[in-house]
Amino acid sequence: MKWRLLVLQIATPILAIVFGVVIASIIVLAIGRNPLDVFGVLLRFGLLRADSLLSILFKATPLIFAGLAVALSFRAALWNIGVEGQYYIGAFCAAYVGFGIKGLPVAVHLPLAVLAAGLGGMLWALVPILLKLRRGAHEVITTIMMNYIAAAVILYLIADVFRDPSQIGTPRVRTPEFPGSARVPSMGPLLGLLGLTGPDANKVNWLLIFGLVLCVLFTVLLSRTRFGYEVRAVAFNPQAAEAAGIPNARIQFLMFMLSGGVAGLAGLSDVLGFFGYLDIDFPKGLGFLGISIALLAKNNPLGVVLAALLFGFLDRGALGVQFFARVPKEVIVILQALIILAIVVAYELVTRYIRMQRKREAERPATAPAAAAEAGH
Amino acid sequence: MHPVLIELKGITKRFPGVVANDYIDLTVLRGEIHAIVGENGAGKSTLMRILYGLYQPDEGSIEVNGSPVVIDSPRKALQLGIGMVHQHFMLIPRFTVAENVILGSEPAGALGRLRRKEAEQRVRELCRQYGFALDPAAEVSMLSVGEQQRVEIIKVLYRGADVLILDEPTAVLVPQEVDELFANLRRLREQGKTIIFISHMLDEVLEISDRITVLRRGRVVGTVPAAGTTKSQLAEMMVGRPVLLELEHPPVTPGEVRLEAREVTVAGRGGRPVVSRLSLAVRAGEIYGIAGVEGNGQTELVEALVGLRPVTSGRILIEGHDVANASARAIRLLGAAHIPEDRHRRGLVLPMAVWENVVLGHHSRPQFLDGAFVDRKAIESFANERVEKFDIRLSNIDVPALALSGGNQQKVIVAREFSFNPKVLIAAQPTRGLDIGATEFVERQLLEARSNGMAVLLISANLEEVLSLSDRIGVMCSGELVAEFRRGEATPQELGLYMTGTRRAGATSP
Repeated sequence: MKWRLLVLQIATPILAIVFGVVIASIIVLAIGRNPLDVFGVLLRFGLLRADSLLSILFKATPLIFAGLAVALSFRAALWNIGVEGQYYIGAFCAAYVGFGIKGLPVAVHLPLAVLAAGLGGMLWALVPILLKLRRGAHEVITTIMMNYIAAAVILYLIADVFRDPSQIGTPRVRTPEFPGSARVPSMGPLLGLLGLTGPDANKVNWLLIFGLVLCVLFTVLLSRTRFGYEVRAVAFNPQAAEAAGIPNARIQFLMFMLSGGVAGLAGLSDVLGFFGYLDIDFPKGLGFLGISIALLAKNNPLGVVLAALLFGFLDRGALGVQFFARVPKEVIVILQALIILAIVVAYELVTRYIRMQRKREAERPATAPAAAAEAGH
Repeated sequence: MHPVLIELKGITKRFPGVVANDYIDLTVLRGEIHAIVGENGAGKSTLMRILYGLYQPDEGSIEVNGSPVVIDSPRKALQLGIGMVHQHFMLIPRFTVAENVILGSEPAGALGRLRRKEAEQRVRELCRQYGFALDPAAEVSMLSVGEQQRVEIIKVLYRGADVLILDEPTAVLVPQEVDELFANLRRLREQGKTIIFISHMLDEVLEISDRITVLRRGRVVGTVPAAGTTKSQLAEMMVGRPVLLELEHPPVTPGEVRLEAREVTVAGRGGRPVVSRLSLAVRAGEIYGIAGVEGNGQTELVEALVGLRPVTSGRILIEGHDVANASARAIRLLGAAHIPEDRHRRGLVLPMAVWENVVLGHHSRPQFLDGAFVDRKAIESFANERVEKFDIRLSNIDVPALALSGGNQQKVIVAREFSFNPKVLIAAQPTRGLDIGATEFVERQLLEARSNGMAVLLISANLEEVLSLSDRIGVMCSGELVAEFRRGEATPQELGLYMTGTRRAGATSP
């Protein structure tokens, strides 16, 4: 019985993906294509080419931060829908440190830029969490509002205050470029040693490793420490935590700040690792992808890494499907969303089933000794 | 007419993992009051739900008046003359008694016009026929709990029931109301009604019923006549082993005052005081019991004492330290333990493992920490020791608390709160929902704590429990302490008068 559950638990993500593929196949059939062809291309193009694998790593890097940020807030029973705005502000703070300071060594300048991004994210998370803890304003509403403000603020800052003067007269609206000391180094040289070269190898940067380390650190923090214990108690039953003397508000505040801080880093892979300046058209929407990733990962930091890789794969594979299987781009977007949706649903169903089985398991031996004791009388 | 009104034969009902009813035979005679007793989980409610058509049995048959029937819905049960008075009332407070009674089978005239006068008249007749003191025109929100229960009974009679199933009807009543209920039930019996009475209060069962069927673990242990059966015989049938019904209450000389409330006022919703100028003192080696109808400020008083609710005015002293409006953590650190009245809401984090719940609130003690890390080994060995000492039954300490039975969940809380030598114990409804065995265990622990010199404040809706455990008893009514007695000074009836506010004494002054 115990074995069966364990196997089921391991098989859950696989079952979920199979379910997603089945649902997506129906759509593919509906537009008159052969699902085997389409998924064949998706897998071959997405997984069997070195440049695709590298591209997946590059695409997954910001998603790890965004997913981790959302997952951290969910772990404290808070809904940080404001990762989107928090990473805008974080990206701008990093850019400001990047182009605003000159002549620092990499060892100082880069950490400073990363720190600025984290603080920027925290700043943007501070308002909603204070409003929640002090005034009871729901953080879903306030973080969404803060997203709009953040979008407008950075447009104003990039276009009207810090626009690169050398670009005036061109259609490019962006900040000045950062010196090399504020850029995240590429992993290209290291990957080159493994025989992986080319533009996609150069795009992969060290923030990927930083993100992985953060995920491991947060796993340890949440599962092994006193703080993690208190976070769990507050998230599952704030009233019991309160009665046990755990400071609910402080725990929620700290977790929201951590969430905002990690959120602030989501834009860095693109801004400090790839472009080297903050453009008005820098990649947007990471915060919302982060919500899907956290849901898919069941708020587990290590699961976030896997979910981010899956998103990267779907994104990269879609490119192949578009070119080689001649499926329109819009249909691919629908497929991506459906696969994710199906995975979430299937995951939930299997988890519920496991939980039910578990409960039954725990109860049975609980009554068995009682019956034995009775028989002894 | 057939003397046997209802006959259940071989009723079996299985739920995933449990057999709730295991081949149950039950014979109910016409015109008797038949009690069904058993511990929580013995299968009483399942059996009654089957009889009332809410569940279908997996096996077995039902005969009413000698002919086999299938009861597949409450509607069908009512057609056969079987009605159920639920434990939790299903009344609309803003409606009158008559409106509530007719709800669902309203007498309608032309164009669906409600014939209110006719309805009131019929309800009035029913009350007169059965001797129920009830005004059909009164609004239900103005009625006492006992009166609301009468409305529920009239509702069932109005629908033509000959058999009334009453599910734990006395759980919500004060002693006077229980007496009235019993008088009403006897009158119903005289007029030929048959009553099935579900309870686990043995005194009441022996007083009211003609015959008693005892269930244990889904099986019938036996059916006995009430006359000639003793309480301890019944208890033994229920539990399967001899039970000490009267716990020993050895004399203990109380020590210094450990917990004191001075003129404490606590505001409820909207700023209205729910506890007003309440003063009491609990000494070391003493159990101070608070009796009262639920909702008279006990919950708020406890929350204020343990730091979960602000105090508007007054002082709370624990060993001389003023802790009014101090944090729950600070009060805990002074040595106050708290068994919350709602174990699911305040006592446990249900999805967390038992080993994690056993140290909740004590998790930051140095012995359970290894730097910033949780010392899982230390906690686990502590948890295993507690599990053994408090006889908590589980497969292992990794299971989540939600997987345990209510009694075992309560034991987890008791085991935790009795750890680390608390000076003061505030126990709110510590045996609520527990079966006889678990109740006996918790009460025994409270008495042992008292012998060890702990100051215990016991808040319980179970008057019998307050009377049997306490050295002193305070009665709360409308947020005030209206009377105070020493052990043995007051009868349940007297306490009942104070609990309902019928009588007051100037006992609040020290």
